[in-house]
Amino acid sequence: MGDEIDEGLRSELQRQGIWVTSMQELYNWGRKNSIWPLQFGLACCAIEMIATAASRYDIARFGAEVFRPSPRQADLMIVAGTVTKKMAPQIVRLYNQMPDPKYVIAMGACAISGGPFKQGYNVLKGIDRYIPVDVYIPGCPPRPEALLHAFMELQRKIDNQKLSGPNKSDHLDREHPSEYPVPAFGKHDLVPRANPDVFRPPQIERV
Amino acid sequence: METLEQIKKRIEAAVPGAKIDIVNNGSPSAQHSLKIDNEHARDVARFLRDDPALRFDFCSNVTGVDWLDRVIKKTVKTKQVVDGVEKDVDLTSEEKIPGYLEAVYHLFSIAHKHGPVIIRMQTGRANAQLSSLTPIWRSAELQEREIFDLYGIKFEGHPDLRRILMWDEFEDFPMRKDYRPPDDFEWEPTPHDDVLERAKQHYPARPTETELKPS
Amino acid sequence: MSLHPYFEIVVFVGVALIFPVMPLILAWMWRRFFQPPKPGAAKNATYECGMESLGEAQIQFRSQYYLYAIIFLIFDVEAVFLVPFAVAFTGLPVGAFLSILVFLLLLIEGLVWAWGKGCLNWAK
Repeated sequence: MGDEIDEGLRSELQRQGIWVTSMQELYNWGRKNSIWPLQFGLACCAIEMIATAASRYDIARFGAEVFRPSPRQADLMIVAGTVTKKMAPQIVRLYNQMPDPKYVIAMGACAISGGPFKQGYNVLKGIDRYIPVDVYIPGCPPRPEALLHAFMELQRKIDNQKLSGPNKSDHLDREHPSEYPVPAFGKHDLVPRANPDVFRPPQIERV
Repeated sequence: METLEQIKKRIEAAVPGAKIDIVNNGSPSAQHSLKIDNEHARDVARFLRDDPALRFDFCSNVTGVDWLDRVIKKTVKTKQVVDGVEKDVDLTSEEKIPGYLEAVYHLFSIAHKHGPVIIRMQTGRANAQLSSLTPIWRSAELQEREIFDLYGIKFEGHPDLRRILMWDEFEDFPMRKDYRPPDDFEWEPTPHDDVLERAKQHYPARPTETELKPS
Repeated sequence: MSLHPYFEIVVFVGVALIFPVMPLILAWMWRRFFQPPKPGAAKNATYECGMESLGEAQIQFRSQYYLYAIIFLIFDVEAVFLVPFAVAFTGLPVGAFLSILVFLLLLIEGLVWAWGKGCLNWAK
């Protein structure tokens, strides 16, 4: 079903006027051109996200103009802005309520690491502590072009996902979780501080 | 607008027993303020709002301040007789001021178009409590809640004193100077200063000489 | 051979049905045979903008609400009758004027009755 087509055979057939495709290509082609984002913004990055959706940058060219007001209909979560510790459980819960397959773009310095407010008492140091992130965009805030670039990266990622085999896409893997634990409000901090199944900070190497 | 000295005198005449001090601001803005005592705070505030000459009907800003312990050095030149000769001698006296929490209110008058008059209330760090001025100025409600949230000052008489920025289960007061943030420094991309010190505790230890040598 | 004049419409209806139904069937088959379902407690919970939802999504309204609705409806319908009455007012005989007055009086009496009964007091 998801086996690659021999490129030589395909071009030969195309020369004869026959266009062939595989189920996997057709499926991924359909998916990557209708990514519906979840409609929510957290801070100033959301303004750039709105600009991306407006006519000058026009995210509709990528089939992603349909910002859905409900997670049930969304494929993509754009975490645009500072995630406060008070907001983090709600973000994780929204992610949990999205149906598979689902993707996350962490937009801006705050969403990927806490950014300029990293040491703040109420700022989460990156949403990747609780949910898996597919594309990170640095910038404070990133320009709409950066968001479009992230979008194209996500499309490339979707295009390369396999339908079968050992490397098949996460949403087709029966064992892969679709929900992640929602952090609780603790006395001093969120409990737990990060989900060890998701959060893998780079190892510090001494040279 | 009347000067602070005039206002102070009129308050003391109108509210018997009120202790008012003028706190001087040495900076070029010279926005001096009135320190009012906690017991008569609401009466003083009501006087400031209702007095026909003052009419401070708008409380634009309420904020909290956490003052650390301070030592104020004063040098006074005095004449002393040393060995029978009169000399100018500098006498230094140190005044220790223990730390305290403070709520600062900025008042304006829309009716008379004057202001600001700044009033302050002080309380100790342990069991911090002040009387709320929300019954006088409704605009203070959310800002007093914020002070309660971040500095832990309980406002007596506040209609709805809950945390506003942090979650209800939170127990610390993050804007106090003695607040220590939770220790989550396991990954810092560009650590420096304090953050570097905290982050080092989470980093693997630097290998010692003997570990580096191939055995 | 001449086609029935409605033949094109039949084809049109057929295509119009197949076009939306086919993707739905395909999607259903995809879900049924290929994509593993992953239900979960949070995923199936009532959507409340990410907050923890309290209670059911389908709740009962208090019966007082229907009193407002019915009283509103009566006066809404009254307006429907009053507009043609006002438009044709100059050419109406006295009998029509009296009958619409009776109609209005009945409605006003109903309003006074509802008012006196306390239906218009906002239920706390």
